Amino acid sequence: MIIITHIPFIISIILYFVSSVLFIGYIIKPSFFNKKIAKWTMVMGFFVHSGFLIFLGLESGNIPITNVYESFVSLLWCVLFVYINLDYLYKIPSLDTFLIPLITALSIWALTFDGNNLLITISLGNFWLIAHIIPIFIGYAAFTISFSLSVMYLTQQRQLKLKLFGSLFNKLPSLERIDNLMWKTISLGFPLLTIGLVFGAFWVKTQNVLGEAWYLDYKVILGLATWLVYAALLHMRLIASFHGTKIACLTIAGFCLVLFTFIGTFFMGSKHAFQNVSEQTNTEILNVQ
Amino acid sequence: MSILVVGLNHKSAPVEIREKLAFDTNSISTALSMFLQKYQNAEAVILSTCNRVEIYVSSLEDSIKVEDVLSFLADFHRIELNYLSQYMYHYKDDRAVVHLFFVTSSLDSMVLGESQILSQVKEAYMMASMQEATGKVMNQLFQQALNVAKIVHTSTSIGKGKVSISSVAVEFAEKIFQDFTGKIVLVVGAGEMCELLLKHLYEEGSRTFIVANRTFERAQELANEYHGQAIKYELLNEYLTKADIIISSTSAPHYVIHANQVKDAIKHRRGNPMFLIDIAVPRDIEPDVANIHNVYLYNIDDLQSVVNQNADERTREVEKCRAIIEEEVEHFMAKLEEMKIEPAITHLRNHFHTIGKEELDRLKPKIKNLDNGDWEQVVYTMERTINKLLHHPAKVAKQEAKNGGGYRYVETIKKLFGIFHHHHTDHPKQ
Repeated sequence: MIIITHIPFIISIILYFVSSVLFIGYIIKPSFFNKKIAKWTMVMGFFVHSGFLIFLGLESGNIPITNVYESFVSLLWCVLFVYINLDYLYKIPSLDTFLIPLITALSIWALTFDGNNLLITISLGNFWLIAHIIPIFIGYAAFTISFSLSVMYLTQQRQLKLKLFGSLFNKLPSLERIDNLMWKTISLGFPLLTIGLVFGAFWVKTQNVLGEAWYLDYKVILGLATWLVYAALLHMRLIASFHGTKIACLTIAGFCLVLFTFIGTFFMGSKHAFQNVSEQTNTEILNVQ
Repeated sequence: MSILVVGLNHKSAPVEIREKLAFDTNSISTALSMFLQKYQNAEAVILSTCNRVEIYVSSLEDSIKVEDVLSFLADFHRIELNYLSQYMYHYKDDRAVVHLFFVTSSLDSMVLGESQILSQVKEAYMMASMQEATGKVMNQLFQQALNVAKIVHTSTSIGKGKVSISSVAVEFAEKIFQDFTGKIVLVVGAGEMCELLLKHLYEEGSRTFIVANRTFERAQELANEYHGQAIKYELLNEYLTKADIIISSTSAPHYVIHANQVKDAIKHRRGNPMFLIDIAVPRDIEPDVANIHNVYLYNIDDLQSVVNQNADERTREVEKCRAIIEEEVEHFMAKLEEMKIEPAITHLRNHFHTIGKEELDRLKPKIKNLDNGDWEQVVYTMERTINKLLHHPAKVAKQEAKNGGGYRYVETIKKLFGIFHHHHTDHPKQ
């Protein structure tokens, strides 16, 4: 039953995978692989992905974040959505070669959460929830892209240092350009993360969703840590006008923290408004199915 | 209809000869009109660049010989014929076509695959065409040559990859900096190589140059040329921090820029990358500089090896280009043969229609009961019959001519139908 309903997402993963292969192939052998086909395969994957989320939303009548799996799928959708828009605005050469394989890998990982029985415990029609979740998701998406850009930066830097002037070297943009784009995506993500966290804090205070000791929730703590890392990054860049390798390394660290905050905390026992389906309700659900 | 090329290039003649034979815009038009005055009904195009001077000639039935062109050139430039001819090459018909296609596709250039020659050929053709020195044959030939060059450049890698030290250096700089407009270029030493690099960077948008040289006057000279600033050699260290791009080519026997200097500079630059090019031998920049974060150092060998690699890559593409050109030459020769037979077919058609008209004129007074409409029908039928009769042989003759030996068919047609045409009238300039 579960498998059948998730076929659209599997299809979009396959499309992302094919597109990744084509993007990487295009770097290795441009005469053989077509970049346009790669791009369209990716866009097709995105459409199927979007369709899947709409289907999930219509089925449950809520925005599709009712469990860990759905949240993950939604987050990945945000990454692609932000990427497609940024690419349209800035025409970032070869970023796709770095980002789409990452999205493919994360999508496969997301699939393993399919059977996860953590369910959200709060009502989803809530204004605060939307105001908390959506900015944070888009912020995380921007950070994912800045992570890919950092990897790109370090790759190009390594090639310049080691004098590896191959096909990848020719296709990647200049260090300065990557650095600027890194900066742009971070300065898009940071305010959104801030807004999301502020709304989250209001919500927690006014409606007591995480209980008395909300500040001990791992996700809250790590969320703040993430905010601090990116704040430090912005400070370094804006006040001390730092560039280059240090910024790239910190961006990578920031993204690892994002990923850990988003997924890792569930392994640590943090529920953050999600709850294990109790055995009682479990059997109820089984009966319904 | 034959095609002939007579010329010399960088392989066949030294620069002293090439410059003697070179044409400028004015002398090309003078030469073309003189040539056409001497050989009416001929077509000619003169291609003159720093590496070659060539004259392409087309004449009917081989009326212009190699010697004619050679003596024309010798007379025009007042050079002794025997002296000149030892440096000249000449090709005829299909070999001339192959040669032009090679030249235009830049397979005959000093730097294989360079793109300038394409526009030079285009210009030469435009100039001849404006002088009405080109006709059916030259128009077809040069248009196809330009087309072939485009095909060769887009479907092979003959023009890809930079093949000069300075362009490779600029290409590297482009992988570090997004644009050069706000970047400061520090030049240490004012040699020829530095100047080439400056020129390249200037073309790419670089505008802020600082020149340091042992002799201040020379620094000032170079700086003035690019609206830059000359500084005293002793102040080099101060300006190191400001520079984004550093080019060094002094003749100093020791290092001029040391690792600790660059380390200090990069600290102030807060990770803003620095790009250093050391084109001096012995080297000017301490090699340890390459190990500093956000600093990128390249020496002459690094640049040269990329140049060699790209040049090899281009050489590997030559066979592919040759195959394309051979095929295109075949197409062109077929078209040429078809062009040869066209006037004969026109004559044949006119011949038939004249006979038809004569017969109708003979018939008209004999028939009295026909009104105008009916007479028109008779005329129409006659024309239609002639056209129908001629349609098949004309088609076959054209097709057969494409495989070569167009002249043979022309002769056969003339003989069979007893027509003689004078080529003076049937070779219209277009």
